Amino acid sequence: MKPVGKLKRNVKAYLFLAPALILAGLFCWFPAFKGLVGSVLTISSSNQVKGFAGLSNFRILFSDKAFWNSLMVTLTFILFFVPVNTFVTLLAASLTRRKSRLSFIPEYIFFAPVAISLSAFSLLFREMFRGTASVANRILGTDLAWITDAPGAMATLVIIGVFLDLGIDYIILMCAFRSEDKNVIEAARMDGAGGWRLFFQVELPMIRETVLVTVFLALKDAILICAPVIILTEGGPFRSTETVMFYYYTEAFRSGNRAVQNSLSTLVLVLAALAMVIFGRTRRKK
Amino acid sequence: MKRTPFDTFKFILRKVLLTVLAAAVLFPLFYMFSSSLFSSGDFNNVSILPSKAVWENYARVFGHRYFFTYIFNSVGTSVLAAIIRTAVVVLAAFALTHLRFCGRKAVLMALVLTLFVPQEAVLYQNYRTTAALGLLDTWAGIICTSLFSAAQMLLMMGAFHAVGTESYDSARIDGASDMRYITSVLVPLTTPVVMTVALQTLITVFNNYLWPLLVTDRPRSRTIQIGITMLGFAESGRTGAQMAALVLISAPFLLILAFSKKGIERALVRR
Repeated sequence: MKPVGKLKRNVKAYLFLAPALILAGLFCWFPAFKGLVGSVLTISSSNQVKGFAGLSNFRILFSDKAFWNSLMVTLTFILFFVPVNTFVTLLAASLTRRKSRLSFIPEYIFFAPVAISLSAFSLLFREMFRGTASVANRILGTDLAWITDAPGAMATLVIIGVFLDLGIDYIILMCAFRSEDKNVIEAARMDGAGGWRLFFQVELPMIRETVLVTVFLALKDAILICAPVIILTEGGPFRSTETVMFYYYTEAFRSGNRAVQNSLSTLVLVLAALAMVIFGRTRRKK
Repeated sequence: MKRTPFDTFKFILRKVLLTVLAAAVLFPLFYMFSSSLFSSGDFNNVSILPSKAVWENYARVFGHRYFFTYIFNSVGTSVLAAIIRTAVVVLAAFALTHLRFCGRKAVLMALVLTLFVPQEAVLYQNYRTTAALGLLDTWAGIICTSLFSAAQMLLMMGAFHAVGTESYDSARIDGASDMRYITSVLVPLTTPVVMTVALQTLITVFNNYLWPLLVTDRPRSRTIQIGITMLGFAESGRTGAQMAALVLISAPFLLILAFSKKGIERALVRR
């Protein structure tokens, strides 16, 4: 082919790619790069560069008690949220994995939370878990202060988290169960495997991949949780629900703390990359 | 296989478990509807059902000076974002699957690796960029970070691969331009995937909370997800109206879900 034709072909291809490349550059690579560079510079709260900082920004971050607190809060949240979420969604999906005449009713109920937005759920639960004279206490027969009490506030966040992820996780898992090879299940049943054994030794292992995906999604959501904290607890009581992302949000946007904002942003980027690589490895190994 | 009493017991146990779980998931939704008709006395008494349906709660929401502005902003931004993002993704996926050019691998890499950068980690930098572009308090500012998705581009590329390039070659011989080929052959052949991408974007942008909170300041430019937390009903003792507002923004999606559930299942269940 003539060189002119080749040039024209290249220009055309890049015209098609231009919007995607500009958007990815402007709102992904540029800010990520700026965060990385900013994490080794001293920057004033009005964004003036004052000089090279080396690792002192990270030293500032690591010496902030509030940072370690937010890390512990996020870890606690993960510790409760991920297992509870996996258990509940798996339970819902396995109880409805066989199609029957009336199964559309529970299917719709478990899927319905998808329709409710994050802020709607947060506001709804803020009302339902409001102190001791709350609907939650009346229904559960408990006498907890919920949002104004440290463990109660964490429990409320976990419950909201489960409701936010339930719908999508449920539909993914339920459809995975229904995609299973019916012949394999029949064969196992012929061999006398029934009930529990059939479920735990045949059906569940067949959707292991999908379960892993939902666990990974739950983990990602747990690490990045922030908005429900803003609406529900503002990090309180006594910073007991101040997650890492909420800490980032307050430091970056309310206190203008550039050292913390840039170093934390870099830390999250590195961890995210690491998590993706690990996830890719485990999936490929199988 | 014959049913033993133990089998019957397990059957009942399963049904009971299912009922309890379904009731637990349903209750908050039920309470949302029920309490949207509460008087303030019902809230004080911690009722489950309204003593007398107070429809006025809904009238209050409709009478709120910004409620429809919030809805308008939300619908406008999410529809706009869905159209633009779908177009961006389709164009990029087309170039990467149908055209041969220098640096194809590098471009693909640069776009796919954006998956490694969570938006939350670059929140502040993006805020500064948006402010520098003068996009604060505008629709463009609300959607600018949601106009490209590498995950959706990969999905689109998979669909385009399945179509293959034979029809492209013959269309080229017939003298059809690339744009024409995309709009009249490629997109019609991959409509389910294109619609999925558009719908996904619509819902994501409509439900966005953190980003619109940061880039909007004037009530006039807020979306409903932000606005609904700032209606001021709960603070002035009109919690019923707050609940009515929640019902109003959730009900349309609950209806859409009821109609689209079959289609979503069909897309997800492989046979």
